[in-house]
Amino acid sequence: VKTQDFKTCTQAAFCRRGRALSARAQENPSWSSPYSIDPSTISVLPGQASFTAGVKSLLYPDVKFGLDVRVHKDGVVRVRMDEVNGLRKHYDEAASWALIAEPDISPEIKWSVGKSDVRAVYGDKKDIEVVVAFQPLKVTLLRDGKEQVVLNGRGLLHMEHFRTKESAEEKLPVEQPQGDDSQVVMQVNSRAWFEGETEDGYWEEQFGSWTDTKPKGPESLSIDISFPNHGHVYGIPQHATRLSLPTTTGENAFYSEPYRLYNADVFEYLADSTMSLYGSIPVMHAHSAASTVAIFNAVGSETWIDVAHPTPRSTETHWISESGILDVFLMPGSTPADVFGQYTRLTGTPALPAHWALAYHQCRWNYVSSDDVRDVQRRFDLEDMPVDVFWLDIEYAEEHKYFIWDKKYFPDPVDMTRDVEAVGRKMVVIVDPHLKRAASYPVYQEAQERGVLVKSPGGSNDYEGWCWSGSAAWVDGFNPESWDWWTSLFKTAPQGDKWTWTESTVDTYIWNDMNEPSVFNGPEISMPRDNVHYGGWEHRDVHNINGMLFHNMTFQALKARSDPPKRPFVLTRSFYAGSQRFGAMWTGDNLGTWEHMAVGVRMVLANNIGGFSFAGSDVGGFFGNPEPEMLVRWYEVGIFSPFFRAHAHIDTKRREPYLLDEPYKGIIRSLLRLRYSMLPVWYTAFREASVTGLPVLRPHYVAFPHDEAGFALDDQYFVGSSGLLVKPICEKGATETSVYLPDDQVYYDYFNHYAYRGAAKGKHVTVPAELEKVPLLIRGGSIISTRERPRRSSPLMKYDPFTLRVALNAAGEAHGELYLDDGVTFSHQDGQFIWREFVATSDKKARGVRISSRNLAAQKPSEAVDGVALATYDIANSFVKEMLGVRVERVVVFGLASKPNKVQAGGRDLYWEFTPGVTASEKRQGTTSVLVVKDPDLSVTSDWEIVVQT
Amino acid sequence: GVEKIHGVAPSLLSRYVAPASDSAPWSCLDGSKTITWAAVNDDYCDCPDGSDEPGTGACPNSMFYCKNEGHIGSLIPSTRVNDGLCEPECCDGSDERLGVCPNVCHEVGAVYREQQTAERKMRSTGSKIRRLYIASAQKEKQKLESQITAAEAEIADLENDVARMKDLIDRTESLSAAALEHKKQSPLYVSFMEHTEALKSLQREYKKRLAREKALGDILDALRRGYNPNYQDMAVLEAVRGWEALARLPHINDVAKDDGEGEQQVITGDEEYEEEEWTAEELEKELDSLLNSDYEALLLEHEKHIGAPTPSSSLLLDLTAYIPDSLLPHYQAFTDTLMAWLEALGIAQGPASADSPDTSKARQAYTNAENSLNAKKQELQRTQEELTRMFDPEWFGSEGEWKRLQGVCLSKDTGDYTYEVCLFDEARQKPNKGGSIQSLGKFASWNAGGGAAVGSPEYYSKQHYTRGTKCWNGPMRSVTVILTCGLENELLSIAEPEKCEYQFKGTTPALCLPPDAQEDKHDEL
Repeated sequence: VKTQDFKTCTQAAFCRRGRALSARAQENPSWSSPYSIDPSTISVLPGQASFTAGVKSLLYPDVKFGLDVRVHKDGVVRVRMDEVNGLRKHYDEAASWALIAEPDISPEIKWSVGKSDVRAVYGDKKDIEVVVAFQPLKVTLLRDGKEQVVLNGRGLLHMEHFRTKESAEEKLPVEQPQGDDSQVVMQVNSRAWFEGETEDGYWEEQFGSWTDTKPKGPESLSIDISFPNHGHVYGIPQHATRLSLPTTTGENAFYSEPYRLYNADVFEYLADSTMSLYGSIPVMHAHSAASTVAIFNAVGSETWIDVAHPTPRSTETHWISESGILDVFLMPGSTPADVFGQYTRLTGTPALPAHWALAYHQCRWNYVSSDDVRDVQRRFDLEDMPVDVFWLDIEYAEEHKYFIWDKKYFPDPVDMTRDVEAVGRKMVVIVDPHLKRAASYPVYQEAQERGVLVKSPGGSNDYEGWCWSGSAAWVDGFNPESWDWWTSLFKTAPQGDKWTWTESTVDTYIWNDMNEPSVFNGPEISMPRDNVHYGGWEHRDVHNINGMLFHNMTFQALKARSDPPKRPFVLTRSFYAGSQRFGAMWTGDNLGTWEHMAVGVRMVLANNIGGFSFAGSDVGGFFGNPEPEMLVRWYEVGIFSPFFRAHAHIDTKRREPYLLDEPYKGIIRSLLRLRYSMLPVWYTAFREASVTGLPVLRPHYVAFPHDEAGFALDDQYFVGSSGLLVKPICEKGATETSVYLPDDQVYYDYFNHYAYRGAAKGKHVTVPAELEKVPLLIRGGSIISTRERPRRSSPLMKYDPFTLRVALNAAGEAHGELYLDDGVTFSHQDGQFIWREFVATSDKKARGVRISSRNLAAQKPSEAVDGVALATYDIANSFVKEMLGVRVERVVVFGLASKPNKVQAGGRDLYWEFTPGVTASEKRQGTTSVLVVKDPDLSVTSDWEIVVQT
Repeated sequence: GVEKIHGVAPSLLSRYVAPASDSAPWSCLDGSKTITWAAVNDDYCDCPDGSDEPGTGACPNSMFYCKNEGHIGSLIPSTRVNDGLCEPECCDGSDERLGVCPNVCHEVGAVYREQQTAERKMRSTGSKIRRLYIASAQKEKQKLESQITAAEAEIADLENDVARMKDLIDRTESLSAAALEHKKQSPLYVSFMEHTEALKSLQREYKKRLAREKALGDILDALRRGYNPNYQDMAVLEAVRGWEALARLPHINDVAKDDGEGEQQVITGDEEYEEEEWTAEELEKELDSLLNSDYEALLLEHEKHIGAPTPSSSLLLDLTAYIPDSLLPHYQAFTDTLMAWLEALGIAQGPASADSPDTSKARQAYTNAENSLNAKKQELQRTQEELTRMFDPEWFGSEGEWKRLQGVCLSKDTGDYTYEVCLFDEARQKPNKGGSIQSLGKFASWNAGGGAAVGSPEYYSKQHYTRGTKCWNGPMRSVTVILTCGLENELLSIAEPEKCEYQFKGTTPALCLPPDAQEDKHDEL
């Protein structure tokens, strides 16, 4: 990384001011916030849990602020504060881009206005209380009388009001003309205790050779948010760091710089740093064994966050933003699942991806021609390695004019795409937001004519910057005009005289890169902050939201491409809160090192915490030439990432898996096949995420929120609710590893069926991890559905049979889910899907186990699909009809107590094999007993029961 | 259900026979397990080797045989059985459930046979051309052999000449060496030699600098044209702009912006020179010849010159101008005698002291003779080498079939560049819009490291050209030329699958073996 390209806190005036404010507060024992509520202005909205109040600052009695506090139906508290009738308007639209809708305010909760505060008590057990104190202004969320979240408890709230440069200058300290040198009398600056002696970087700021003209002057926002009873905080992606965020201030702070959120294209980023990266999700979880809470700070400008633990069981954070209003959501929890529900009700759940998008993606910068693409496909097929998607990076485009094929190398783009589609595969092609300024480029010409480009400071001229295409201009997603126009570009059929992408197919999907935006010759490799967007907002106001809008525009465009629509797939590099609704992200330009491999796992987990589950890192590392061992391990990481794509820089050697020697090639073939066999697990986890907001990857604190020993764990995790626990190996030469088991339960090795025993207090066990073996355990009590017939691509598996792995727990029981739909369209929203539950119960009478298939869809139709609450489920819907012949071909039971004497389904005797071994209820470790039931000939669509009598 | 022998290859049919009784077991082909006959092709994988499911996709590791009656039978991996796609390799449609795929073997077989005929015809024509190449190599061989005989004779003659001259020189030089040595002591000569040495050193350094400057210029040119803004490095942009200013080039992106106007005229500055001063060109040309002067000969010239009357004295002393022609011989005889006397007395210096011109001429002749001998010897060596290489399988093939193509240049215009490979010599990239030609590498070897046996058709299907111009921020450029049989020697496509590593695809008749030699290979699919 070129650290000098990116600001530290001391190089950003507002961050410097924010941290100085915090330092003064620290040093001043009698520090008290100058902000207070004027009780006479409190106005409670009738019938709603919402009130407004006037807020005053001791520092500027003439400046007015307005506070708006609401409690939503689900108990989330929203605290908004803005300057009232100021000189200008603070940017107040960040939340409107992040939220799916304006949340419903609770009609039941009542505010009670007291002498010194306003309070509301709510919750099923009336255990939650919100207290808004008047003087100084302080907002506290309590549960069972314990403080969960406190805003402005440390008095760091500061909203810099708009002012003119002249009025500010008048107030500068003035030297008295007379008097001797030793007695220079300063005009008393009554605000210095709070704001500091000098106006630090109010009106102009330099960074490198760039000047930020700051025409609006100072407008930053500082707020302290404390979690007095929570010792761990997580979230605020994207940073290359641990999942449980290390401290940045206080004694023995782990980092010296605050966590920074300012979407940036960081070349060769560090594997352990608080530097900002490509995306920003300002959501933070605070966790303890007693409860989980979270906050979402809906701000779109650059934000720095300090984290400290005054004690091991408490956390203080300080958020410093460059512009915008205070708009903070307090999520009361009290479990991680509650918090995910609360957050995704605000910003949306992850979109249910197209099924194929969960398969393997093969990318490189660049496949250089149509024939190259065909040859890569041919070689995958020759090696019988599954792959679903081939990607084209920027070199497909003539002079980097996106959409425009370079016909010298891609003379037949549609035929090429059809050749890929013939095997059920897809193409993903890159489209970036910078448009080459060339008269010959219709996309740029149209954008210019329509006036939908970002403007340079002053707002009258189109901004010109430098990117891949050389001189470029940027589409302004904040301009509503740009959306329909962008949608029209993706039409594959001609649209009159308008330019459309006729040299494309409806199964061509899109990769949005460089949308931070990346500008090669701009400050911090991005746009000048004083650039102007639609509505006159400065780039600084919307910077972190910018990438999401471009992603969203492309998502909408793909959705509109066919009728009925297909599920779009759009990969983005830049993102914000809410981006999970539009597709997938990846962790950007990582390095081919073990450190980056390891931190990639953590970054993907952090993204899952941020509500954005569909995440992955470039397999192999973008830069460098990984040795075969590292490449194999990277595939092991990849097959257990929600988004699984191999990618490589243009300067690297080719490293498609078919190029490797044995044993590496064979290992990767098996790993790819393992991923494909588990697609039902991933798809089922994504259904759950899309409805409940629960992440696809679940770190220990999410899966076992009461087990303190797991709170800092971030190198092993669970896949959805499946019960699969994985610990990818990210080090050279490993042959075994230590896996943490959080509970008193049996865990089975997926491959060799070894049964490990956990303990109530948690326990570490040693699991073999030779190169070809990913440490993968099934928690006792789980039923895993897989499809084990290797195919060239996932759509070709559509009618393949299922295998069920029934991993009995100590009580002889197990449970699992399976969700299926056509994987392509939105017909699932009309009830075209299969959602089943497999249950194994211990049958005392038969001294055995009953394994049954039940219809969850019919039981809980309203909880099946995101966005629609189906009243009923038609068990004979056309998707079910299509799948009638799809059977369960094999049932494997782990941990059975003894050899069965009979296995039956519907009175039919079934063929089975039994290998004795350790049973589920024993305390002993060792290879477990395995019962394989051969072809019970049961449909995956219907209810059935298998009875195992022992 | 499917037939028990569905998907079984003919060679294995004997293993798929129903056991005598229903209860008798059937053995997996690898013998690892026995199962019931009913479990064969029941769409459930029982055998670890996959042999119980030859006709379904149940086992991941088996092969499926399609009979393809009317065409040629073929094997496909079981992963493609019952996947909903009609495999082109199974024209009978047997890889999918009944009714999914039509039987198109009749048509496919017809097309295939047509293609085979065309291919065979092409090969047959190509192999005739190849035979011409071989014949030409034979002719070339004879030519070379006669050249060798001739050269050997010439060398014998030259060796005689050299020996004779050497003898002459040895004798003359022993006489004149001492006198010459004495003259070389002259401070003027010594100083002159020092100047010469200094000038030589200066020239050496100058040339080094020139080469270095050119290399730097090339690097910067490459940087200017090829720099990738992804490096996101403003320092690179600065360097490009700096170079453009220094080399007086227009900014590359301004050029690109003007779309199609092409590179602007490079502005060359007219440097000012003092009179008499050498221009860079003169320096280049003249300095070499200056330094290559025979100083000893000049020394002797110098003696002559000093000995001759100065122009001023000639006016007074050279009486010949005033003497009638008829008397001139007498006068000359007289002055000669007089001068001889004067010289003998040490009063005057003769026009030519001692002997040296003769010696130096002799030495020159000797050197020349020796040079031609060496040249001849080298030529002979080259010819011999050429002859050996001609039938060396690692060079021109055991039949010499590639010899005709040595130095034959094939090129392909891809728009921005024209790529060229001169076979067995060098591959190049020529920018079509101006700029310097890059070497993509010199011929290094045939298909190396590909596991192909030396001399096999596969061995001759690839040529490697390596050690081309180094890429900025990358390796030295290299090319793999992939060749197949075709009637023309031509390049079909150019690709750069990895940075600075090129792949040329082309055809040549030299790879066209007679069709019958290929027959066996082609009937397997």
